[in-house]
Amino acid sequence: MTEKESKRPISRRKFLKTSTLVVTGTVIAYGAVSVPLLKRNRLLLRPPGALDEDTFLASCIKCGQCLQVCPPQVIKLAGISQGFGIGTPYIIPREGGCILCSGLPCVLACPTGSLAHDLSLGKDAEMGLAVITNPDTCLSVLGVNDLVYRLENLEKRKTSSSDQTALKEILTSLIKRLTEDEIKVWQRKFSLPEISDKTLLKIQKQLENSDLKWIINFVGSFSQAQKTCQVCLEECPLKDEKPIVFVKRTNPGTGQKYVWPSVRKTCVGCGVCEEKCPTPVTSIKIIPRLKWSEKQAGNQTRKNNQT
Amino acid sequence: MKNTPDKKDKKQEKVKTFKGPGLRSQNSPQPGHAKHKWRNIRWAVLLFFNLLFFASFFFDIQILEGTLSGSRLLGFHMIDPLAAFQVILASKVIMVNLVIGVVTIFLIYLMFGGRSFCSWICPYHWLAELGEKIHQILKKKKIIKNHAFDPKIRYYFYGFFLLLALITGYTVFETVNPVAIISRFIVYGPSLMLIWVMALLIFEILYSRRAWCRYFCPVGVSYQLIGLMSPLRIKWDKESCSNCKRCQSVCLAPLVLTDCVNKGKSEYVNSSLCTRCGLCVDICDDKALSYGVKYLDKII
Repeated sequence: MTEKESKRPISRRKFLKTSTLVVTGTVIAYGAVSVPLLKRNRLLLRPPGALDEDTFLASCIKCGQCLQVCPPQVIKLAGISQGFGIGTPYIIPREGGCILCSGLPCVLACPTGSLAHDLSLGKDAEMGLAVITNPDTCLSVLGVNDLVYRLENLEKRKTSSSDQTALKEILTSLIKRLTEDEIKVWQRKFSLPEISDKTLLKIQKQLENSDLKWIINFVGSFSQAQKTCQVCLEECPLKDEKPIVFVKRTNPGTGQKYVWPSVRKTCVGCGVCEEKCPTPVTSIKIIPRLKWSEKQAGNQTRKNNQT
Repeated sequence: MKNTPDKKDKKQEKVKTFKGPGLRSQNSPQPGHAKHKWRNIRWAVLLFFNLLFFASFFFDIQILEGTLSGSRLLGFHMIDPLAAFQVILASKVIMVNLVIGVVTIFLIYLMFGGRSFCSWICPYHWLAELGEKIHQILKKKKIIKNHAFDPKIRYYFYGFFLLLALITGYTVFETVNPVAIISRFIVYGPSLMLIWVMALLIFEILYSRRAWCRYFCPVGVSYQLIGLMSPLRIKWDKESCSNCKRCQSVCLAPLVLTDCVNKGKSEYVNSSLCTRCGLCVDICDDKALSYGVKYLDKII
């Protein structure tokens, strides 16, 4: 094999022909694949500290070390369907938002500084901005309590295996909001000395054995049932900075009063609100890399060519 | 490349068994008894490190984090030199971690022989080796023909992709780099880019024997440069060589043994293309080939 090849060295002409073919072929093939994808111009939500999109794409080495150290494991690597930037990290907020964990391990792990190392606090990240994209479904605007809403939905669907995790989630947030009197009612109902996360499984089992009617009836009389949904704020990792405030507004046409979740400047676009939003289609959405000033100017979307 | 007999060299040879430079062995390579010591060690090392990449993430043991483009071994940055150069050219900034990563890689492979990355670590190389076996079977049955390219294409690729990174401001090669794609596949699971790797493997099996590694891969070029300086080389013992040329028939990098076995000019395989795979060491029945350390051997 080797001998044969060395006996018959490739002629200059053949070499020129093949090498030009290979090089041009690669370039053309690459161009053909990447250009239509490039034109999509859709921005992905990058991990905290990401440089501006062009610099980020230039410097990211696609090693995935940010993904490895991510405690909630929400960072994913882009495939060919995400367009330009195969192998670069991104976050799908609906599947799991960045919790801005202390120390920002993803930033520390980045070997190239694509996730800028000068970022040390989650509240200084500039990932994007949350925008209320579906006010029609937003429970705050509709004046609906999220637990009531979720329980009703659960009943409509009837129990299945996936609903048990949904029930568990509902119970976890319900227990946190119980008043002392209500805890006493629960203790009597489930004959448990304590109502907390520890006894959650027992409560859930009892509820599964009967039906969900009791708890739905309970929520009807629940002290917080009139309180409208504030999940996006409650789950926000920067809760103390109050990135979302609920403003009372009046519909100028009908004179109807409603609550509007207003996103403030302190929002960094981590995406937890989008993840936790209880409506089937998220009512709040992260627009990657959208800046507060741009939003004030009326922009609700952002494309790569805007810098 | 050319093998014209050189009479002067021939006269200098005193050992009878050595048939002289430029002479092809009269006996065609005999099928040697299967001895796969170094190949087995090499494959074990290759699988071990790639599994370590996998396990570091999957079981969270955090020993070797990252992929072959960039990783941390117990906290030490290691970055593939070509990827690092691309990033520097694309972003026009020299980052400290990149420099540290490249220097670490340089030092490690300086010890272990430069292009040994290809045959001892690179997961694509392993697949290509398996593909080569299929290729050889098909070729024996005369179903396919092998097509050779110029091995220099890799250097043009190296320059071309670095230039492309500079012009486009994007690490273009890293999106099509089969080494990185497979490494990401091992650690993070499959992606659609595997189709491109499969296509490449099929091309190698059906059209050109191990074409990517032999002619095109620019990743290996950085390691080749390190290999030029690395003292760990294949040592050739002129005295015991019976010049059967079986080593050349198994060699992963065509022609690297020429200077020794054909021309008798050098005691070590000095070509930067040598991957230190040890296949020639395995096949040699005369014990003429072994691993050696170029400068240290003489001192000892």
